[in-house]
Amino acid sequence: MSNGDGSSLLALPPAVAERSIPTLEDVRDYFDPDGVWVIGPNREPKAAARARQVFDPPVVHPPLGDAGPVQRHDLGEVSVVTVQNGAVLEDAAEVLAADGRRDGTPSVLVCDDVTTTVRPTALETSLEFAPALAALATEADRESLTVLTGALPATYDRTWHLEHSSGACLGVASSGPESTSDPTDAVAVRVHGLGSVDGYGPARSISSLAISRDESSTSPNGLTIDVETLDADEFGLEAVTGVGPKTAERLEKRSITTRSELLETPLAQLCDLPNVGSTGAERMHAHAEVLETGEPRRLTGEALPGESHRPPLCLDIETDDLSPTIIWQVGVYDPVDDSYRAFVERTDPADPGPVLEAFCDWLLGTHPDRALCTWNGWRFDYRHLGAFVNGHVPHYASEWESIPKFDLYKWVTDGNALLPGRTNRLEDVSNALGYEGRETGLDGAATAAAYQRFMRTGAELEWDRHEAYCEDDCRALWHVYERVREAPRASGSGSGSVSRAGTGDRDKTEGARTSSESESESEQVGLDSF
Amino acid sequence: MNQRTDTASNANAADIPVTGEELVETYPSYREEADVSLVDLPGRPAETVASETVLQPDLAGPLDHDLYSHQAAALEALADDENVCVATSTASGKTLVYALQIARNYLTAEREGEESTAYVCYPTKALSRDQERELNDLFDDLGLEIDVAVYDGDTERGEPRKRIRAEADVVISNFAGVNTYLHDHDRWARFFSACDLLVIDESHTYTGVHGMHVAWILRRLKRVLAYYGSDPQFVLTSATIGNPGVHSSALIDEPVTVVDEDGSPQGPRDLVLWNPPMRTGGVENGSDVEGGDGKDAISDDATAGASASGASDDDPPERLPATIEAPQVFSHLTYHDAQTLLFTPSRKLAELSIERAGEHRRRRSRYYTNPDRNTALEPYHAGHSRKKRHGTEHQLKNGLLEGVASTNALELGINVGAMDATVQMGYPGQRQSFWQQIGRAGRGERRALSVLVAEHRTLDQYVVSHPEFLLESDVEDAVVDVDNDAVFAQHVRCAADELAIDERDVGEFADRERLEGALEMWRRAGQVRGRLETGVSYTGPPRPQSSISLYATAGQEYEVRLAEGVDEEYDPEMEPLARERVFRDFHEGAVRLHAGQQYEVCAVDHDAPQPSVTVRPTNVDYYTQTRSEVTILDAESEKSREINDTGFDLHYGTGTVLVYHGTYDKVAVHGGKPKDQAIPTDNPPLQMETQLCWLEVPQDVEHHLVEEYREYSVPELESEADLEAIPHIGYVGGLHAAEHAMIGVAPLELTLDKRDLGGLSTLTIDSHLAMDRESTDETQSAAPNAGDDRAPRSIEAARATVRQLANSLEREPASGWFIYDGIEGGLGFSRAIYDEFEALAKRAREHVADCDCGRIDGCPACVMDEQCGNDNMPLHRGAAVDVFDRLLGEGESLEDADVERSERERRPPLFYS
Repeated sequence: MSNGDGSSLLALPPAVAERSIPTLEDVRDYFDPDGVWVIGPNREPKAAARARQVFDPPVVHPPLGDAGPVQRHDLGEVSVVTVQNGAVLEDAAEVLAADGRRDGTPSVLVCDDVTTTVRPTALETSLEFAPALAALATEADRESLTVLTGALPATYDRTWHLEHSSGACLGVASSGPESTSDPTDAVAVRVHGLGSVDGYGPARSISSLAISRDESSTSPNGLTIDVETLDADEFGLEAVTGVGPKTAERLEKRSITTRSELLETPLAQLCDLPNVGSTGAERMHAHAEVLETGEPRRLTGEALPGESHRPPLCLDIETDDLSPTIIWQVGVYDPVDDSYRAFVERTDPADPGPVLEAFCDWLLGTHPDRALCTWNGWRFDYRHLGAFVNGHVPHYASEWESIPKFDLYKWVTDGNALLPGRTNRLEDVSNALGYEGRETGLDGAATAAAYQRFMRTGAELEWDRHEAYCEDDCRALWHVYERVREAPRASGSGSGSVSRAGTGDRDKTEGARTSSESESESEQVGLDSF
Repeated sequence: MNQRTDTASNANAADIPVTGEELVETYPSYREEADVSLVDLPGRPAETVASETVLQPDLAGPLDHDLYSHQAAALEALADDENVCVATSTASGKTLVYALQIARNYLTAEREGEESTAYVCYPTKALSRDQERELNDLFDDLGLEIDVAVYDGDTERGEPRKRIRAEADVVISNFAGVNTYLHDHDRWARFFSACDLLVIDESHTYTGVHGMHVAWILRRLKRVLAYYGSDPQFVLTSATIGNPGVHSSALIDEPVTVVDEDGSPQGPRDLVLWNPPMRTGGVENGSDVEGGDGKDAISDDATAGASASGASDDDPPERLPATIEAPQVFSHLTYHDAQTLLFTPSRKLAELSIERAGEHRRRRSRYYTNPDRNTALEPYHAGHSRKKRHGTEHQLKNGLLEGVASTNALELGINVGAMDATVQMGYPGQRQSFWQQIGRAGRGERRALSVLVAEHRTLDQYVVSHPEFLLESDVEDAVVDVDNDAVFAQHVRCAADELAIDERDVGEFADRERLEGALEMWRRAGQVRGRLETGVSYTGPPRPQSSISLYATAGQEYEVRLAEGVDEEYDPEMEPLARERVFRDFHEGAVRLHAGQQYEVCAVDHDAPQPSVTVRPTNVDYYTQTRSEVTILDAESEKSREINDTGFDLHYGTGTVLVYHGTYDKVAVHGGKPKDQAIPTDNPPLQMETQLCWLEVPQDVEHHLVEEYREYSVPELESEADLEAIPHIGYVGGLHAAEHAMIGVAPLELTLDKRDLGGLSTLTIDSHLAMDRESTDETQSAAPNAGDDRAPRSIEAARATVRQLANSLEREPASGWFIYDGIEGGLGFSRAIYDEFEALAKRAREHVADCDCGRIDGCPACVMDEQCGNDNMPLHRGAAVDVFDRLLGEGESLEDADVERSERERRPPLFYS
């Protein structure tokens, strides 16, 4: 199991469930789920049958209703009650009520007909089957329900407060630890998505939900849900750069179904595949080896910036959200003397100026000649720092402009190196490269949410923990930098761009005609923009 | 600049190669006197102001001419820190106004050692390139080193873009580009921080849904500019519209000073309103037709409907369509040395017109004795590549071309110089467009010629018989509805993505209630996070900006590719196509004329990441014409009222419009006869959620009228639909005719283009309405296509669904008609029709009753519509007038009809669009 504790529920979009058996085995081995749901609401019996060949734990495809319209599965800490469709939601009352009486096991519902409908003309979003859900809760004598649905993306997590009698919506709050349960005579329905997340590649994404009990949690049912989402083509042969669905199919026809088999296949044989060629074949081998061994590999003769001079300062920022109103923490790790500096706004979140002023004073005063290094800085850290320096400490704007800035993520994804790890997330990459971080239990979104609460209510953060999180990222970055620096160069390395799938950059239009802004660095959702 | 200060006033008729009178005299065809009206529009001299009185010496010095009074007035208002809208005629030197303001700002900033930038937006990329040259030339003349650069979808990526962001003083773009670039506003920090002027050129083009998006993009841009500390001034330039002040303020959300006293000179103009001659009965007496049978040698699809019933001797005479006549007039004028611009309503007709102009000369070779004279004619439209278009513009400007047939792509200010004459193929729908187009002819104070060739349509016939409609009434208003929540909500997502939305946006971006409403909607949908007090961020799929569709088209555009193995010289270099256009005109097997070459579509890939259309050159004697059919499903009523106690119920609501471009015909290029018919395109329907209004006719009126017109029959319909004689055909023909007439007169009462409206007449309104959930579930599971995609795949399946729904009703369904907004999401047109229904019905009734075509099924001037999806069948004028009478409470009281008899006969679930 890869994410968190608790019961692990794997949600497979039907298209993914029809992938090759070895690919599904790779999915199975990575996630090791307690139960697999091939999500609806469309009926895809073939996909379900295929998944059943691979997974030992129960494979449920709700639209089939093969074991009756309402099925119950024990998944360790929780039980999952699957409802075939929205029309039979109320039939789940008995099972839910029984679960409630039984000691302790909390239950979650899966019903793929539950979804939201946005009506922009009325500025309104409604929850489908809200009356049925309210009635179900009333009948099962519950104040709260947790419903999982394949009709919403796995990023969706909201608690709908519904009136008992009518199902009318009384308010919607974000779920999780931030949730504030307000109306008392209402049913709290936590709706969590299972479906593919927009912005991943055309191969769709797979999400695993780790559901655990957390008595301290204020969220409905006292459940904590941790989600891990990966692009479907991070599995099987397609995880190897240069192997798309068509090449994977051709390889499978030649009985090459796993990455280790790919490695054993002579280059000459790979070269013969359509649209591969010798460079492509070498690249495949190199990447398969990186994935199998966990050892990074450099592909080009391109020097790692700062390699021959003093190493760069590793930088990470924390903001209050994706469209920040403040950069409240700037962390800088200096590998030269193994020191770390943090600039944190702990008192006045309304003024973004002081942190930036302090950071710039220090940076320009003590390290006027050092380069900066980030992970995905061009899309996040540099981007926001640039705008904020311009706006709040304009006297440093041109100095800031002239500081050499370097983005290791971009350098890697530009085709200069291959790294292990299922995704390009810093956490994944650094873990795969042997970095042992401090377990702060935070991620970018959580630390932002905590700061937002501080802005709103004045509730202090556990500052040490949040600073440790930022420091950890800076040190992880340096770890990756060092590993890349020491990595061997692939033989016969040429240049060229390796882009891993999963960029969400498909649909940009500009001008009177459609075109894509390819100049912009890829926007990888899986990267967690913070 | 297109400025002409020569006020040499030898404004006499000799200035143009052909006058209006000469055109009528020399045109080689007999015509009734009443078919042509000549209007003499007087000119006016220039009013100028010495440039030194307005401009500082370092600008007035190098400027070697005076300013027109409107330019001076605008510059003075700008000096007073006002926003300005310059609403004057074509080629009156509007560009100079903002160019000089940019120059003033530049010089001021230079003195203070600072930067001053300007963002200039044009409606098309072609205009951007054209104006980049104009601005560069002007700044050169003024001796200023102002760095002007176009930054749009065609700008090379990487370094060139980076350089423009880092260095340019003036950035030229379009609003689709602005929408996209706002996502990365941090890259524009330098440019935005120094931005002193925002220019919106041709601002009158931003109307309707397009205008709404532009208004919100501007609000988003202003937010981001404020973030970088800028609060720029605005210059808008507009063609003459009815409401330049209101429209400009609505776009930019700030007060605007209007400058519309035009000081530029204008020559007199011969305006010819030209109704094409009759084409049957007597066969063009006195003309020297060669090789023809008296009928026109080339027909066009626009006439197919009108002539569908066949031309027997009993048929009333019918005029030649403008699609035939206008290219001939164009051909004639160019032959006589008048450099002429022909405006056509479609790309296809721009291409076809060049062929037809040539054909006209060949057919009339006894008249046009020198076959090689002035044959440099070219088509022009946005489907051509940039290179090709620029070449045509250049040749036109330099007199290398005698004539160009263009879509409205040349209506806007691209500098092609001034023509001697314009010809319009049909009335362009709006007076504003009409004046803008004819403004293309006329140099300074010289006389110009403009010919409007009328189409069959209601509006055209009205216009040519009522010239005062053009000459005496005000031009239309441009409408921008910033109260539309659907459009607003889309831009809220983008704004939250660009900068967190917080308390500062309350009152600025939108009022609190509306902002909270939109944010709560997106919060519930999982697309935003956070509260106004601390800022709301966007958390949905990347780049919400890409979901903004400025052109009322959905989805990604299709690339046009040349089939493998075909010589590159045949590359049509077509611009990408909107999805709607691909479904309609570029299905597999379609034959299209492009830049004089025929192409056949050999493949269409809808599903690839980059959808594409593959074509190969061909040479066949036909072109293809798609048949389109429309139906409506799932209409939900939001408001309803009874009309004047007449029992007629009117509804307003939303629903799904399904457009099936299901089959196509092969039509002979010469002769216009269909060769093969009803070949399937295999296209699924285009689906549109929109707003609609519908009328339900009370049962007693229906029974009465069914009885009254039960003898009427349309044999073609019965054989085609495999139906027995249907007693309802006369009545439903009345509904259909009434619906057409309502849409036809809508532009006379409301500010809209009737092409933005669609209609559907039906005997079973109820089958098109949303059913309550249980019955919907039943029909769904029974329907052949139950599942994810609810829309029936073919029009036949749609008919089956309608029949099934009708049969499942417990009560007898009502009959009536729908009118809907032909734009995804709707624009509020249906709502306006709902509100103004009686006034429109009154006009429509007069229109239908007063037409002297004398035909039961009407004519193109009253109830026939070229957009009709059912070949204008069935139509019944008398029944339409009766329906209007009942609904207006003006008909005689109903006699007792044989109601029982009508009730016994089960109604067929017929519908016509």
